[in-house]
This record gives sequence, C-alpha cells and structure tokens, in this order.
Amino acid sequence: MSPVALAGVPALAAKDKKPDQKKPTAASGGPKLEVLNPRGLPPPITLIPMAKRLDTLDGKTVYLVSDGFPGADAFLNQMSIWFKKNMPSVTTVYRLKAGGFADDDPKLNTEIKEKGQAVIMAIGH
Amino acid sequence: MVTIAFKDLAKTNAAKRGMPLQRISFTPHPVWGKTDEQMYAYLEGNDPVSGKPLMKEVVATLTSPVTPDEAKTGTVTPPTGAPSFVGSADELQQQFLDNGMTDFMPILLPTREKVDAMLKATSHKPDEVVGKMTPAQGAFPAWSYTVEQVAVNAVMAGAIPDYFPTLLAIGSTGISALFSSTNSLVSAVVINGPIRDKLQMNYGIGAMGPFNQANAVIGRAWTLMSKNLDGGGVAGETYMGSQGNMINYNNLIIPENEKDSPWMPFHVQKGFKPEENVASFFFGFNITQGQGAKGLGMKPIPHYHEAMSANVAPFASLFGALFIVDPLVAKGLGDLGYKTKEDIADWLQKNTLVSVKDVKTMLFSGLPRGPQAANLTDDMMIPKWPKTDSYNFVVCGGQTNPYHQLANMSYRLSVSIDKWT
Repeated sequence: MSPVALAGVPALAAKDKKPDQKKPTAASGGPKLEVLNPRGLPPPITLIPMAKRLDTLDGKTVYLVSDGFPGADAFLNQMSIWFKKNMPSVTTVYRLKAGGFADDDPKLNTEIKEKGQAVIMAIGH
Repeated sequence: MVTIAFKDLAKTNAAKRGMPLQRISFTPHPVWGKTDEQMYAYLEGNDPVSGKPLMKEVVATLTSPVTPDEAKTGTVTPPTGAPSFVGSADELQQQFLDNGMTDFMPILLPTREKVDAMLKATSHKPDEVVGKMTPAQGAFPAWSYTVEQVAVNAVMAGAIPDYFPTLLAIGSTGISALFSSTNSLVSAVVINGPIRDKLQMNYGIGAMGPFNQANAVIGRAWTLMSKNLDGGGVAGETYMGSQGNMINYNNLIIPENEKDSPWMPFHVQKGFKPEENVASFFFGFNITQGQGAKGLGMKPIPHYHEAMSANVAPFASLFGALFIVDPLVAKGLGDLGYKTKEDIADWLQKNTLVSVKDVKTMLFSGLPRGPQAANLTDDMMIPKWPKTDSYNFVVCGGQTNPYHQLANMSYRLSVSIDKWT
C-alpha cells in the first residue's frame, strides 16, 4: 500500500501507485461464497505537520544523530567532513541517540532544541 | 537518512506514524562494512531513489518550505478492506493470495459457518479484544484484534475448533511469529499440560516435523495471525529478514513429552500446576542438531553436558540457549548426575566459557557491564551467559536415539490456555 494513501493524501497516492503486475489467476467458476476478512484493527493515525524549514543552513548548527545501527557513526563522521569541505559555515554536532533504534531520547531532543537548528538522523545498516 | 534497502519500510512506517510525506533521503546499501572513502562517495553521489545529488537534496530537505500537504493535520484510519468478501472459491483463494493474507499456500476459506463453529470452542465473546500485536515492538504501531478475527485466521490455517483456545492464548500474548528484523528470526511455543493429549499432539517420534495435524496447524495459524492481525509479514515493509527462514511457515511447535521425561515439566518450572494447560514462548535465531559434538562418543554414557556446552559456545549471547532433548538424553544426563533441569543449567553456566578476545570479535555478543568490566583482559575466560536462566530445557522426542537439538533462543513468557476455553 502506498504510504501516502495510508495517511490520507489520495492525490499523491495516485502518483505513488505501483503498476499492477499481471499474474496468472485461478479459474472463477462455482457458486458464490461470502468469507470474512482476517485482518486486525490498525490504530487511527494522527497526522503530524512538519516543522517549519530554515531559510538557509549558513551559520547554523546541524545535529547528526545516529540511530545506533552499525556504521551510522562512521557515516555521519563522513557527513561532518562533507559539511566542513562544502559548507564550512555549518557547525555539525554528532550524537548517538540513547536506547534502541525505536526509542525516543527526550534528553537529546531537549539539547537539540536548545542548541541546534536542524537534525539529520541516520541510517540503519 | 536511510539506506535504499529500507525504502519501503521507511516510507510506510513514517506514514503509519503520521508523516506520510516525511522527507527521507537514501544512500546505497549497505553502510555497515564500508570504508570511509566509500561512504564519502555515497555522499558525493546521487540519492538512488530520487536520482538527485544526495547532499544537495539533504540541504534542500532542511531548507525548502513545507508544502500544504506536508503541513496537513487530522486523523486517518488506515483501510483494511471490507468486513467480508464475496466470490467463487477460486476467486476468493486468489483474492486472499493477491492481498498478502496467506502464507502463499491454499487456505480454508473462512465462511461464516466455519468461523461460527470455531467461536463455539471458547466462552469468550466474538467481539472481545484478545490483544495487540506489532511486527516489531517499538517500530510499528500495534494493531488490536478480536476473538472473531483470530477465529477467521484459525479457520484459514485448517484448525478444528478444539485448537481454538490454544490459538487465542497465543494471540493474547501479542507476540508475532514474524518479528521484523534483518536477522530472519524464528519463534517457538512449548505446549504443556493435558491439552497435548486432548488435541492428540505429537511429542514423540518426529514431533517437530510435518507428522501431526495439531502441531502443524497450530503453527501455521500463528503465522497467518502474524500476517493478518498486525499487518505484518510484508517483505520489505513489515518484514526485513534478509534471507528469511522456512521455520516461519509454521514455527517451532514443541509439545513437551512429560510422560517420558524424568524432569519437571517446563510450565511447572514457571509456577503453573501440572494439570494446567500452558503455552510458553521462545524467540531468537535458528535451531540445529547437536550430533557430532565432542563428548557424544564417550562410553558407556555419552557426555551430553560436554556436547551441549560445545554446541552453544559459538552462539550469539544476544539470545539464550533452548535445548530440546529426547527423553533418552534427559535420562542419560540423570545417570551422569544431573537429576534436574536446574542441575544441568548450573553446570553449563559454570563450564561454558569463552575468551574475552573472542567475545570482542563476535557479533551480537557483549562483554559483562559494570565495575568488573574494567578488569577484563583478552586472555580471560568468562561465562557464555552470566545467568543460569539463559539455559532452558524441554523434553521432546520418541526415544529412537539419544539426540538433542538446540536453538539460540530466549524464553519470553508463559500463558494459560485454560483461560481461553
């Protein structure tokens, strides 16, 4: 299912739709039956509006946050080097997020809100 | 930022969490194991999804204004289809197959009549919520499901009504048999109590093979429940096992051979009464056979304990050890002086040692934490697992030979089946 359809943006869902694959189908004869849907009940989704974007990264502090998967630290270190070479006015700060990959890290969130203007989180395997 | 291998997962999960248009940039896969130069080349290259220069895209992600769609608020209920479907038997088989509601093998069609027959096997009401399940704790929002929805999946798997309370007990835990990890993990359930005989489960010859209706169907139903009740098992979205695992077809269903075991049944170890019917859950890497390990050639009694120790030494310590031993092995261990499961667990914990140096090089194995960590040196030998409860034992098998199997799996919990009758 299209992620955008899942959260209620049908116009974009049409764009995101994958072409139907032609598959061999079973014969369709015989009497009609009614069968029950086996699926469970997903929770409703509350849409979260995106945060306002910056006008520019010049002179800003960007936090590079690792989700803890192997290689994320080294990858973000390379990104820090890229910023130094290509956008030297950007200050980068590396942090490893606390807890498992799916856990929130309120302490780090507070720090970023106080001291940073943007976040790039990466990366997974 | 995410690697391209997780494209569908990242986009779908962002949507499920309320950000369907979250700005995600992708790198080639993998990052893990790449050199600094290779990773820098990723940054200098294109996003393999959008085709645009990656870092230019990242900067734009942080600086281009939020669109009205990205700023949308409100609540959305994800669609899961109509409550029922109408068609010929062939059409419905195809529809279930095409919509990812099967294990890609034919199902029994869940007609109202068959589902009602299933529902008669429990005193619980059809609309009672049984539990909540997610393909991966913390990563995906959990779905809830009713007694009737479990019954629909039970019918599809080929269950007879007598199996239904066991399936409800499994459903009540919220444990998915198709846990989404790149590690192709497997799940097991140990069944104890008189229900094993009532359902005519096989705990003798070939117990873990395709030789018994209850063993096979209960396991298959758990997989179907894990696909349909929580939206799991969609490869690339809610299932990420790199290679997959054939055990996921119907899982490890292990009725304990209490009759021929010299040891306390597993559920009694966990505080249940012998006459109670209980399902106990394990989770982890794969299962393998213990034959060939050192010690098994010893005479007159094979040194099963030494073999078990050798078997598990290379295991990842992320999960524990589950031994499924034939009654002959349990009796043989008794002859060697290990009269209880606790006796052999204690010996294994004290004698299965690994070097600090080796642990440092193993994936999914960690060194002890705390004050003693500072004193560890590479040549020191430390216990494979620090506690005896990492070693679990279930007796199962038909005594055609004194063999054991072992799984790199951890115990999770035990639940009453009787509660669901």
